[in-house]
Amino acid sequence: MMRFLALALVALCAALAARAEPYDAGHARVELISERQVALPGETIYLALDKTLDPNWHVYWRNAGDAGLPPEIFWEEGPLGESTSGDQFVWPLPELLPVVENEIMDYGYSEALTLPFEVTIPEDAVGSVRFVGEADYLICDDICIPETAPVSLTIFIGETQEPNVAHAEKIAAALASAPVPFEGESAAVVDGDALALHLVPADAATLDGNAIRFFPYNNEIFHARAQTQSVGERGARLALPYDPRETLGETLDGVIAITAPDGTRTGYIVRAAITDTPLAGTTGRAFTPAAPGGGVNLILLAGLALLGGLVLNLMPCVLPVLTIKAMGMVSAASKGEDTALREHGIWYTAGVMISFAALAAAFVALRSVGEFWALGSLLQYPVVVAVLALAAFLLGLWLLGVFEAGGSLQNLGSSFAGRSGAIGAFATGALAATAGAPCVGPFVGASLGAVLERPAPEVFFIYLMLGFGMALPFLILSFVPGLAGYLPRPGAWMERVKQFFAFPMFLSAAALLFVLGDQAGTGAVAWLVMGAALLAFGIWLVKIAGGRLRPMGLALGALAILGGFALPIATAKTLDPSQTGSTAYAAKYETEPWSPQRVADLTAEGRGVFVDFTATWCMICQANKRTTLTQPDVLAAMDAANITFLVADFTNKDPAIAEELQLRGRPGVPMYLLYAPGAADPVLMPQTLSPALMKREIAAAVGD
Amino acid sequence: MKMNKQNFFLIGGMATAICLTVGAMIATTAEGETPDLVSGTQAPNFTGITSTGETVSLSDYAGQTVVLEWTNHDCPFVGKHYDAEYTNMQSQQLAADEDGMVWLTIISSAPGKQGHVTPAVANQLTEQRGAAPDHVILDETGEIGHLYAAKATPHMYVIEPDGTLAYQGAIDSIPSARTRDIPTATQYVTAALDALEAGEEPEETTTKAYGCSVKY
Repeated sequence: MMRFLALALVALCAALAARAEPYDAGHARVELISERQVALPGETIYLALDKTLDPNWHVYWRNAGDAGLPPEIFWEEGPLGESTSGDQFVWPLPELLPVVENEIMDYGYSEALTLPFEVTIPEDAVGSVRFVGEADYLICDDICIPETAPVSLTIFIGETQEPNVAHAEKIAAALASAPVPFEGESAAVVDGDALALHLVPADAATLDGNAIRFFPYNNEIFHARAQTQSVGERGARLALPYDPRETLGETLDGVIAITAPDGTRTGYIVRAAITDTPLAGTTGRAFTPAAPGGGVNLILLAGLALLGGLVLNLMPCVLPVLTIKAMGMVSAASKGEDTALREHGIWYTAGVMISFAALAAAFVALRSVGEFWALGSLLQYPVVVAVLALAAFLLGLWLLGVFEAGGSLQNLGSSFAGRSGAIGAFATGALAATAGAPCVGPFVGASLGAVLERPAPEVFFIYLMLGFGMALPFLILSFVPGLAGYLPRPGAWMERVKQFFAFPMFLSAAALLFVLGDQAGTGAVAWLVMGAALLAFGIWLVKIAGGRLRPMGLALGALAILGGFALPIATAKTLDPSQTGSTAYAAKYETEPWSPQRVADLTAEGRGVFVDFTATWCMICQANKRTTLTQPDVLAAMDAANITFLVADFTNKDPAIAEELQLRGRPGVPMYLLYAPGAADPVLMPQTLSPALMKREIAAAVGD
Repeated sequence: MKMNKQNFFLIGGMATAICLTVGAMIATTAEGETPDLVSGTQAPNFTGITSTGETVSLSDYAGQTVVLEWTNHDCPFVGKHYDAEYTNMQSQQLAADEDGMVWLTIISSAPGKQGHVTPAVANQLTEQRGAAPDHVILDETGEIGHLYAAKATPHMYVIEPDGTLAYQGAIDSIPSARTRDIPTATQYVTAALDALEAGEEPEETTTKAYGCSVKY
C-alpha cells in the first residue's frame, strides 16, 4: 500500500512538473524540457533548451557567423556544473541569415529552436533531481537584444522510466534533424591562398544534384561570400572563400548542408584533414543549382503545363471533338456569325478551365484530408511509390494500345460537340476535359506529381494553365476561323503519337523503382516487377478470354490483375523501414528481432550476438543508433567478427524484454549486450556507445 | 501544322527563359568582392566628416598610433563596454589619449537604422558616457566601414605609426553581452597597444569581432 501511495505521489508530482509554463523573455518563449518525467539513477537522458521565437527574430548557431552569439545555460543548481554551451549541445542544422550581401552573414535559426543536451543522473540521486539556471542568448531581427531566461526543471527518480511523450517527441525531432557524421572521404585542400573542400560520399546519392553549403565551426572562411560548387564522377568540390588572416589547424571542421532540388535540407558533420592532395573525381563540371522552389520553378512548371495542355489536343480522344467543332466553325464563319463564334470560343475555354479548376480543387481537398497527405512527401511511403510505378506501367500499356478503355466517354463528348449555343460550347469544353479523361489522365497524373507538395494557389495556377493550353487552339480558331483549314487531319498518326507517349510513362515507372529500391530494398523492386508481369498477364487473359472458357479467363485475369497490385503493395509495406522505428536511420538498420531462444540458437552455433534493447522514446538509444549502430564500419566489424545484430524493441511493453532487463540488473533501456562467439553469458556494454568503443569490444570478444 | 509551330515557339521561348535565368544566377554569384584586409599590411587611407564638422583623414595621423572603434550606441555589446560599472571603453580611450595615441570612433549606421545619430547627438553621447575619442566620424554611407570590412559593433582596429595594420577584431576575449565578463577577459586592444609601445608584435593580430552587425 505504501509503495502504491509513493508511486501515485511521484506520478502526481510528475504531472504537475510537466505543466510548467515557458518563460517569456521578451522576444522568445523559453523552457527547459526533458524526455523523461521519471528517470533511473545513473541513467543518461536528454534535456533540451526549447525556444519559440517572435516572427522575424533569430537566435544563433554554435558559430554565429560574422555577428551574433550562440545560446548558453548557466547553472545555479543541478548535476551539470557551471554551464552548458558550445559542443555540449546537439545543434540542429542552421540556416543562412544574410545581413549585408557579400559582407555580413550570420548562421542561426528562425521561428523555433530545440537544443538538446545530455545529462547523466547521479547514481546516488534519490527522490528528484532539480535543474535551475539561466539561459543567456542573443536574439536579433534588425537589432539585437541579449535576453536572459530563468529556467528550471525537476526530474523524478524512480524504479521505472516514464517518458514525457510530448517533450520526448520534440527532442527526438531535434536530434533527428541534427547533422550526422559524413560518410565517405573528405579533404580540405590548400593551394596557395585557395581552400577547397573535397567530398567523396560513400553513397553517391548523398550529394548528387544537390547544392552544398559549408558552415564552419571556426572562422577559416569569409562567411558572407559564395562557395562555388563543382561536381565530378565520385563527389563534389566546394571552393571556399578562405580568409587568409586565419591560420589553418590540422582539420577543417564544420557542417555541410545539402539542399535537394525540392528544398529538403540534410546536414553532415565534416572533419576534413588539411592537405595539399586533392581527392580524385570531385571536379569536372560546374554545379548549376536547380531553381529554388518558388518563382522560376513555378513559371517553368506553368510553361510545361501549357505545353502539356496543347499536346492534349493531339490525343485520339480529344482531336475528333475538336475537328467536329472546327468544321462547324468554318460553316458559321462563312455565314458571317463572327461574334457568335467568338463567344463560342470563350465559352468553350471557360468550360475546359472550370473542369481543370474542379480537378485542382478536388486534389487540394483530398490532400488536406488526414495527416497522411499533410505529411507532404507522399513519396516517402514505399506503398505510394509502388502504386505509382504500377499505375505508370499500366498507363504505358494503355498508351501502347495493349488494351482499350474510356471509349464510351469519348463518344459522349462527340455527341455534345455537335450541339450549338453557349451551353453547348461550355459543355463541350467541360467534356473535352473530362470525356478526354483517358488521354488527359497521364498528363494530369504527371502534373500531379509535380504539384504534389506545392501550396494550393500554385496547384490551381498550374492546373488552369493545363486547361488553358488545352483550350488555346480552339480559342485561336474561334477568333481566326480561317486557320481551321490547317488543322491536322485525324488519322493513324494520332495512334502513333499516343503510342509514343507510352515510353516516357515506362521511364517514369523505372525512375520510381529507384526510389522504391532505396526505401524498401531490392526485394520490393523485384516484387514490383513481378507484379507488373502479373498485371500484363491478367490484362492479356481478359483480352483473349472467349468461348466457353470466357468466365474462367475473366476471373483468372481479374485475379492476376488484383495480385499484380496486391503483391508489390504487401511487400513494400512489410519492408517499409518506418515500421521498425523512427525513419531516418532505419533504412540502413537491417536487423532481426531479439528473443532469448534466438540468442541461445545463435550462440549454440558458435556465433556472436549483439543485442540492442531500445525504444523509440529513449533518446540515448536513438543517439547511439545514429552515431554508432548505423555506421557502416561498425556493422562491417560485426559482420567480420561473425556477430549477429538483434534488436529488442521496448517501445511497447514487452514482458520478455522486461524480464531480460531485470535479469541483467538494468531497470530500463538502453541496454547493450554483446555475446562473444559461443559464449553463454554476455558482456554488458555502457549506455553511451561510440564506433571506437564498439570496435574495441568486438575485437575483445573475438580475441577471447 | 499551326500547332506544331506553336509548340516549337513555346519550347524555344522556354529554353531562352531558362538560359537567361541561369545566366543571371551565374552573374550574381560572380559579383565583385572587397579586397581582404590583412594584419601586417598597409591600412587603407580614408577621409570622413566628424561630429564637430571637421574633415579628417587617416593620413593626417601619420607617425601616430591610431585606434579605430566601430560603434552603435544602441547595440547591447557596445553598451556592455561603455557600462558605468567598468567603463571599459572610456578607460581605454583615456589611456590611449595619455599615451599620445589617436582614437577615432566611427558610426557606420545608415540613416534610419539603429545607431544612426546626428552630430549633436553624437557629441551628447560622448559627454554623457564620459568617452574620450579624438573624433567621432559619421560614416552614414558606410564607405569607411566597407573599406575596413567592419562587421560588428564594437569592431576594433589598431594602426601603427607607419600605417601598418597591427590588430583587427574583438575588443576582448569573451564574446558575450554580460558586463560581469569584462574583468576576466583579455583586453585585446590594450594588449596590442602595450606590445607596440614595448616595440613588440602584438600576440593577437586578428580575432573575430563579436557584437551586433554593423547597420549599413
